[in-house]
Amino acid sequence: MARRILIVDDEPTLREMIARILSQAGYDIFAAANCSEALAIFQRGGIDAAILDVMLPDGDGFSLFKQLQALGDVPMLFLSARDEDAARLEGLGLGADDYITKPFLPEELLLRLAAVLRRVYRDDDKSTARLGDIEILWGRSAVRRNGETLALTAKEFALLRKLWDNRGNIVTTDALCEALWDGPNIGYDNTLMVHVRRLREKIEADPSHPHHLLTVRGLGYRLAREEVP
Amino acid sequence: MKLRTLWRSAALLTLAAALFFALFCASVIAFTASLLLTDNNNNTDSNLNTIAQSLTLNDDGSYHLPAENAAALADKNRWAMLIGESGDVHWQLDKPADVPAHYEMTDVARFTRWYLADYPVTTIVRDDGLFIIGEAKGSIWKHDVAMATDTLRILPIFALASFLLMLAAVLAVSALLLRRWFRQDQERLDAVRADWIGGVSHDIRTPLSLVMGAASDLADRPEVDASARRQAGIIRSQSLAIRQLVGDLNLTMRLESAMQPLRRAALQPEALVRQAVADFLNSGMAEGYPLDIDLPETPLPQIDADAALLARALANLLTNAVRHNAAGCTICVGARASGRHVILYVESGAPAAPPAAPANALAPDGNAAHGTGLRLVTQIARAHGGEARFSSGSHFRCDIFLPI
Repeated sequence: MARRILIVDDEPTLREMIARILSQAGYDIFAAANCSEALAIFQRGGIDAAILDVMLPDGDGFSLFKQLQALGDVPMLFLSARDEDAARLEGLGLGADDYITKPFLPEELLLRLAAVLRRVYRDDDKSTARLGDIEILWGRSAVRRNGETLALTAKEFALLRKLWDNRGNIVTTDALCEALWDGPNIGYDNTLMVHVRRLREKIEADPSHPHHLLTVRGLGYRLAREEVP
Repeated sequence: MKLRTLWRSAALLTLAAALFFALFCASVIAFTASLLLTDNNNNTDSNLNTIAQSLTLNDDGSYHLPAENAAALADKNRWAMLIGESGDVHWQLDKPADVPAHYEMTDVARFTRWYLADYPVTTIVRDDGLFIIGEAKGSIWKHDVAMATDTLRILPIFALASFLLMLAAVLAVSALLLRRWFRQDQERLDAVRADWIGGVSHDIRTPLSLVMGAASDLADRPEVDASARRQAGIIRSQSLAIRQLVGDLNLTMRLESAMQPLRRAALQPEALVRQAVADFLNSGMAEGYPLDIDLPETPLPQIDADAALLARALANLLTNAVRHNAAGCTICVGARASGRHVILYVESGAPAAPPAAPANALAPDGNAAHGTGLRLVTQIARAHGGEARFSSGSHFRCDIFLPI
């Protein structure tokens, strides 16, 4: 089912452009030019996520955010020409899920929106993902391979989740250690390698020659991108 | 601070000091003058002495005081008497009733220093006794000044020292005022500059979003012919470069006017290097440029720094390396410790910075960074209390020194 996205921006050309980008990516779009239109659309219900411009003619994005939040708990992203940290922090401090500065590439917007939707609507016990011929069962913290279900330990799950969220990109050992443990990353390198090896044993056909969980020497690890059929 | 403002403030301080000194001297003179002028009671010793000596003993045993002297005394409401060797009063002029007629040695000691029956008196010595001149009660205040001569010698030094202290206080206050005045000036300038930059950068961003969006769209449409798609790709990548530039400019301005508070945290330098390289590789900009990472075996000391700013600095250096080097050129990123600093560096194969000025032009800052992106690196280093050193030649290299 297509996700329903509300877009609020007072600049018509930009609004149409965002609407086109998102609908081409398969989303259902609802556009508003100001706060009152946005509230009207939101109150009708059924919105899965909202993208709010910070500067609007009849109010500002932050107060609109608060009003929408009072009506329903839905992920929201801010879109703004101001990248000052203060503005950013205010946006994120309110509980917004992301803050995108203009100008942005269409793919950037899509990636960020997808990441937010994934994060927010993930807590579904039935949610799964495919990694080649492996099925990842997020809700059960396990993977299924060749009909066999293998449970993942808490650390392995966190490791896989972090790599999955950044799929295709290199994640440094420092970032992985931070995701797995509290405190500074001193001396956890070896332990991390052990967890990586154990995870490989569960998801790779040949753990010594991994296809999915790849090592990037000197930096960290990477979960290979989906192969385009 | 500029040299001109330095001169200006020095001149002002000297003026303040001179003014104070002049006022000080003037007040001293005025005080002394007023003392002399108001002292019109003819209280000078010689005057009274003359009167005292003018009393003469007649042959018949009586005394005579010249009329004008008697009148002078009466004029000022004074009374007088002569005390002989025996202690008795031998002669008197208008002596009040409560003044005794006989005196012992101890009485004499007392009234020469202080008062006689509450009358302030002046004692003049004659061959035949003491000539006393008395004033009205309460008209004169007597004080006893006795000081060891050693202490007296210290007095001029003490005066000089206190004068210098006052002078120092005046100078300090003027210096503080001047500093605040200059800082307000500077702050106002900074605010104006920051406002302008912020406004401009904000106004550029919306149109740039539209350019970027439209170009991206064209570049991805399969029905558009290949060369048009390529041009659209150029528009897109250049608008990305403009975005980067606007962001750098904004950040530069804020760092320069100290409007960017640093969000410091204890960071591991190796993590910074690794993250910068990972981000760079993930962005796809490193296509065709082998990246080398150079980190020491032993862990480096932690630094107290703003991770986002340092990441920005490293990213700028990496972008610069790619922009100014042909594909295939190796880029090396590393960190090491040296003395009281941790050094983050980026080095690339061939001469990277194009000559910014003709050979015969003056280069006041020698090897300084050119271009907004590199200038930002310098500022970020400085904002952390460190510095950025650039060197070109066979390899372009930038070392960022950060204090531990």
